[in-house]
Amino acid sequence: MLSIDTIAVFYKELQAIWDVSLDVNDGEIVALVGPNGAGKTTILRVISGLIQPSAGKISFQGQNISHVPPHKIVELGLSQVPESGKIFTGMSVLENLELGAYVARARKDRSASLARVFEIFPRLAERRNQLAGTLSGGERQMLAIGRALMSEPRLLMLDEPSFGLAPILVEHMFETIRKINQQGLTILLVEQNVQASLELAHRAYLLENGRIVGEGKGKELLSFESVRSAYLA
Amino acid sequence: MFEGLSQNLVFGILVGSLYGLAAMGLSMIFGVTKLLNVAHGELIMFGGYACFWAFSLLDIDPFLTIPLAMLALFLIGAVLYSLIFSRTIKLPDESKVKNSLLVAFGLSVILQNLALRFWTADERGVTPAYYQTSFTALEVRFPLVRLASFAVALIFLIALRLFLKNTYTGKAIRATVQNWEAASLMGIDIHKVYLLSFSIGAALAGVAGTLVVTNYSIQPAMGLGWTMKALIVMVLGGLGSIPGTFIGGLILGVTESATSFFINSNYREVAGLILFVLVLIFRPQGLFGTKES
Amino acid sequence: MSTKQIIYLALIAVILVGLALFPFMTQDDSTFNLVILVFLYMTLASSWNILGGYTGQTNLGHAAFFGAGSLATRLLWVGGFPAVPSILAGGVIAVALALAIGIPAFKLKGVYFAIGTLALALILNITIGNVFPEMSYNPAISDYQIVPRYYLFLGLTVITIAAAYFLVNSRWGLGMMAVREGEEAAESLGISALRHKLLALAASAFFAGLAGSAFAYYHVSYYLNMPFGPEWTFDPMMMAYIGGTGTVIGPIIGSIFFVGLKQLLVWNVGEYHLIIFGVLFILIVLFLPGGLVEAWKKYQRWFTRWYQRRNTSPRNVIGTGHLP
Repeated sequence: MLSIDTIAVFYKELQAIWDVSLDVNDGEIVALVGPNGAGKTTILRVISGLIQPSAGKISFQGQNISHVPPHKIVELGLSQVPESGKIFTGMSVLENLELGAYVARARKDRSASLARVFEIFPRLAERRNQLAGTLSGGERQMLAIGRALMSEPRLLMLDEPSFGLAPILVEHMFETIRKINQQGLTILLVEQNVQASLELAHRAYLLENGRIVGEGKGKELLSFESVRSAYLA
Repeated sequence: MFEGLSQNLVFGILVGSLYGLAAMGLSMIFGVTKLLNVAHGELIMFGGYACFWAFSLLDIDPFLTIPLAMLALFLIGAVLYSLIFSRTIKLPDESKVKNSLLVAFGLSVILQNLALRFWTADERGVTPAYYQTSFTALEVRFPLVRLASFAVALIFLIALRLFLKNTYTGKAIRATVQNWEAASLMGIDIHKVYLLSFSIGAALAGVAGTLVVTNYSIQPAMGLGWTMKALIVMVLGGLGSIPGTFIGGLILGVTESATSFFINSNYREVAGLILFVLVLIFRPQGLFGTKES
Repeated sequence: MSTKQIIYLALIAVILVGLALFPFMTQDDSTFNLVILVFLYMTLASSWNILGGYTGQTNLGHAAFFGAGSLATRLLWVGGFPAVPSILAGGVIAVALALAIGIPAFKLKGVYFAIGTLALALILNITIGNVFPEMSYNPAISDYQIVPRYYLFLGLTVITIAAAYFLVNSRWGLGMMAVREGEEAAESLGISALRHKLLALAASAFFAGLAGSAFAYYHVSYYLNMPFGPEWTFDPMMMAYIGGTGTVIGPIIGSIFFVGLKQLLVWNVGEYHLIIFGVLFILIVLFLPGGLVEAWKKYQRWFTRWYQRRNTSPRNVIGTGHLP
């Protein structure tokens, strides 16, 4: 579904990503794990079109999207929940969700999508008229995911959905992601929480210093000695 | 004494609504794009000339020329943004404000001299048949033209608020202001949002221009004075608050008329400028703005 | 001293001697007026550049200092004071004004400083116009001589440019440029941003004030608030940008260019030089922030590379390679 072929990314003169290739197949949960500063967020930003790769190719459902602007990528069905949610704090919960369905393809189904999001996150339904800035950390993350779901994506990218959440909420968050996936949505997950995300993912890539250093079935990677010693010790 | 004062106050409020409208376009552009278009006064002037032309050549009622002036200025705004201002949009905030300010100064020089070429340096005004009509209540005179202008200003401010609050496009604009990156992840084409906001801001200047030429007069050198009024009101009202901007306009209008009444009408503009400098130094977030992070 | 420096010094000497001998070559008043206008703009643009170009503080109220200098000189001189102390008083008054508004004005950063100074100059412009509504006539109109005025402007221009040159090449100048690149970084190096900005403002105001004094001594009759008009800020600012801000030579080139263009276009199409100048200014700000100076440097670099490439073209290399 999504295929990244040896991309390189520069921030001004500084190279952040070297020769990264990865694939996400239909229906999968793929995790991209690695330490802070490895370049995980950068890869999601490149896929979303927020920055341009200087080499390599990104294709989504057979279409080359390497140099397509961000808003058109959303239109194609590729949505991202950015790091720490980036919800519109000055707007109501409902307005945030409506903006999720901004693209023409999603706008016509927006009441159905809204009902679905409220079913997944009943909390959001309770707070629909509240200003998003008044939500708790967990609720904000729900809103960010709900907002992305409103665009009816075919592939959803999540950047650190567990960041800053209490342990009990983290578990709940991963459960929700599994549920969304079982309903047929393909997922690319970026996480620092290696244990939980490798348990959840069908496949995973390990990223260090801007390069892919390992790849495998999620649970297999979990048993790798290097992974165990580096992340789970 | 008292009647003179209340008459003065009423005129201050009536003209203040026009100041609020003049600032609304500038504030809209600055709030969304962080471009400081100091050629705003020249856009107001062009709106005034559009009304003047339509009135004197086609004999259209000045208030009915408003859609025309809006459309003309919307298009001018779109062209100016695409040709000039879009080239500074990707700079970091501080140099964006500075470069847009400089570019807009160059633009104001150009527009002012173009106006000289097209319309000469003469002062122009429009005087419809009902120009002298006025009502009197509680011994205070309300000229019809000024009352109508007040209503127009109020209608546009409410319409803008409703547009930003309730339409999908308005929400997209607000989302872009709050976080352009997240907005583009919603599928919003932020460059279109910038273009649209700039054009709407210019269109609002067009409306203000028709009211200026109907209530007062216009001439090619008027730009800087009106840019300053709009800047003063924008700073008084604080950014991003439509009611704040309207009230800022009323404060400037009343300040000016009080200065005329108590001191001397030659100093009315000075009073506004002094207020402006004081607010800049002591309360840069504006009288009604809140400190943003 | 390098050969290049000697050539530059010789060139400057030739230009100065030429300008000093200029009154012996022409008697034509309009030529004098034109050259004086160039000198006036050079002084204003160079003095604007000290604060706006080297220190990075976009001052949109430069006309206030020009106006203050001219007002002080004109009032004293018309009041019967001798010309020389009247002219010096103009510079002093401008510095006093600069120091009075400097501390509150520098509370404003970036664009707020720009619009704040613009507002201050407008306040003075309107107020002076209200206080002195009458036209001011030159008292020496019967024996008005252009030549001493010419030398006054020549001297002022040379002093301003020389002062700007030595200031920006001093330790203070380095500090000013550090402030331009980033106040916080400068402060962390122990450079007081406020002190450097105040010094730059005072120097900038002093020469603008003297320009105003010379203007008051030169101009026959005008309204006293006319030198406070915003065009005395915007035109020199555009000249500095078109020539190249943050360089000594930039404002000089910009001023000559501005007056030259004005002459050329007035002869041809009327008063359209400002439209073309505005377009050029926008293009420079958008695409060539270093102005004509940068354009020249780019051309030189391109030329050097082109020249080198021509002399080390593949044919030559292959030719030597095939030597037995």
